[in-house]
Amino acid sequence: MPAVQLTAVSKSYRRRGRPPQKALDDLDLLVESGGVHGFLGPNGSGKTTTIRVLLGLVSADPGGGEIRLLDQPVPRGLPDVIGSVGALVETPLFFPGFSGRLNLQLLAEAAGVSHARVEECLELVDLSGRADDRFKGYSLGMKQRLGIAAALLKAPRLLILDEPSNGLDPAGIRDVRELIRRLGRDGHTTVLLSSHLLAEIQQVCDSVSILARGRCVASGPVGEVLASRGSGDVLVQIADPTAAAGVLQQAGFSVSPADGALMVHSVATPSDITRVLAGSGLYLEELRRVTPDLESAFLAITGDQPHDGPAAAGTPA
Amino acid sequence: MSAVMEDPGARVAEPSAHRASFASLLRSEAHRFRSRRFIQLLMLLAVVGWVVATVIGLLNYGTPDDGDLADAQARLDQIVAEQQIYHEQCLEDSNIPEGTSPEEWCGPAPTADNFGGPEQFLDKAPFDFGEAGPDGALGVAALAAALAIAMGATWIGAEWSSRTIVALLFWVPRRLQVMAAKLTVLIGAAALFGVLTQAAWLATAGIWEATVGSPDPLPEEFWSTLLQTQARAVLLVVLAAVLAFGLTNVVRNTGAALGIAFVYTAIVENILRALRPHWEPWLLTRNALALVQDGGYTIVYWNDGPIGPDGQPPEYYLGPLQAGVYLGAVALVLAAVGALLFAKRDLH
Repeated sequence: MPAVQLTAVSKSYRRRGRPPQKALDDLDLLVESGGVHGFLGPNGSGKTTTIRVLLGLVSADPGGGEIRLLDQPVPRGLPDVIGSVGALVETPLFFPGFSGRLNLQLLAEAAGVSHARVEECLELVDLSGRADDRFKGYSLGMKQRLGIAAALLKAPRLLILDEPSNGLDPAGIRDVRELIRRLGRDGHTTVLLSSHLLAEIQQVCDSVSILARGRCVASGPVGEVLASRGSGDVLVQIADPTAAAGVLQQAGFSVSPADGALMVHSVATPSDITRVLAGSGLYLEELRRVTPDLESAFLAITGDQPHDGPAAAGTPA
Repeated sequence: MSAVMEDPGARVAEPSAHRASFASLLRSEAHRFRSRRFIQLLMLLAVVGWVVATVIGLLNYGTPDDGDLADAQARLDQIVAEQQIYHEQCLEDSNIPEGTSPEEWCGPAPTADNFGGPEQFLDKAPFDFGEAGPDGALGVAALAAALAIAMGATWIGAEWSSRTIVALLFWVPRRLQVMAAKLTVLIGAAALFGVLTQAAWLATAGIWEATVGSPDPLPEEFWSTLLQTQARAVLLVVLAAVLAFGLTNVVRNTGAALGIAFVYTAIVENILRALRPHWEPWLLTRNALALVQDGGYTIVYWNDGPIGPDGQPPEYYLGPLQAGVYLGAVALVLAAVGALLFAKRDLH
């Protein structure tokens, strides 16, 4: 059963005196249950709008599209599954005059969650010592941690985290990532992690969906998405790169120097390089296919996207 | 977040579906309401105000002795004597229009009865519960309604300013249910506040009556009249809170809502009274007065003609029932519009 499924979902924001702003454009998105699924896209690509649509805060454009959360239609079936969904969307929203503990207790009371669970979650995000301080006195990182604690209160089957590392110090970021990994591996929880931090997605996520202009432009296991964007470049370390370059060029390879080594481009079968060089009495020290990182893949996929995409003109995305 | 690192896996609970019931939501909202510092501050101010008013009353009312009564009588006699001198000067005035007798021009000679008797000149008159009871309930109702407006406006306004109402939807996605819970808590709290303020008035009156009260017996049907007035006062407090809640929920800002309320009461109503006197039965403050005041409120159109056969200007009687229904309808419409907008709009 998919944890999240959107099929042909569109969302346009009306704007005074201007044409509607399309935040989601026939978006298809599938997040299978279990593991950590990254949600990546440039600013204004529609990530937050997608999360808001999933949580029923924003209504999708009428007609055609289908939204399912834990196999229930949204928004109609949302009350049936919301108890299994924890969410942190953008900035944590709490009463500034209440303590962190009271803010969580009020949410817990509304959903019939025990106060013991509140204490567990406070401890989980290392806020127990400051739980009685007022929320408005918290640092940005503490606010973010309280938001994560609130999202975890329900011990959700689906945890939606929108930029959870915002404002956290390096240790906090490391701990949040560790927590997300653990949740993703526990076999019960699906984590949908929206982030603009490519390294975070690459480190933490099992699968990824990349959004651009309100559409999903790539999706799948992180490794597959990376491989699909591979250039076919191969790095060759050899004692005599000049001689090797001549031999390879004669054999029809496209070659360029790369810091004392050679970069051979668009190689379908790397073993051909070994064969050609060995035939000329040149022996390799290293032969390595250049695997693109997520940043390269992301830029390749969304490279023509402006960073202030569809919703940058003041419309939330 | 070292706890996560030091004790990995220890506290990530297994998922379990939690479902918010309306009862649990109500409990949570009631907890939220009584935890709010502004509400606590309002209650503190109300208590302080009650204590101060009670003490001021104790200092200003008193049981006169023979000496006080003699002083009051002397003051009254002096004023009557002065007024009689002015009256005699008036009778001898040469500027009296022709065709008008001096008695018609100057009126009857003043007597002690014209000044309400010596009791009016006592420095410390006794507290007369029979006379002041319903008026006091009306005054307390006005103050309590003003506080209820602040209560209702900030109750929902603070939710919008902090956007916690959006966060609550991650837990309870049925928006009308959220709004109904907040409104229910407000109505309950406002009703309790109204009852407490009226009880406080009874307590104050009881203290004054026992210590500096008039020995005169209470008028017939006094308690019936007073308790009915107080019941209507509680209703006014509830309606004021709901009105403020509804208006603030529509504009989504406490300051803007209170600004609109101020401009309406201080400017719009006065302009309408001056320019459109026949609209007065629709003004909210007139209806609030008519709702609580014993016997309602009669609007007199002084500038309106023609004068009736009895020599009196036309009047419009605004009864408590009519006023209550009207105020209730306005409150209901505002609350409903706010709730529907909340249910339909995209929330960011």
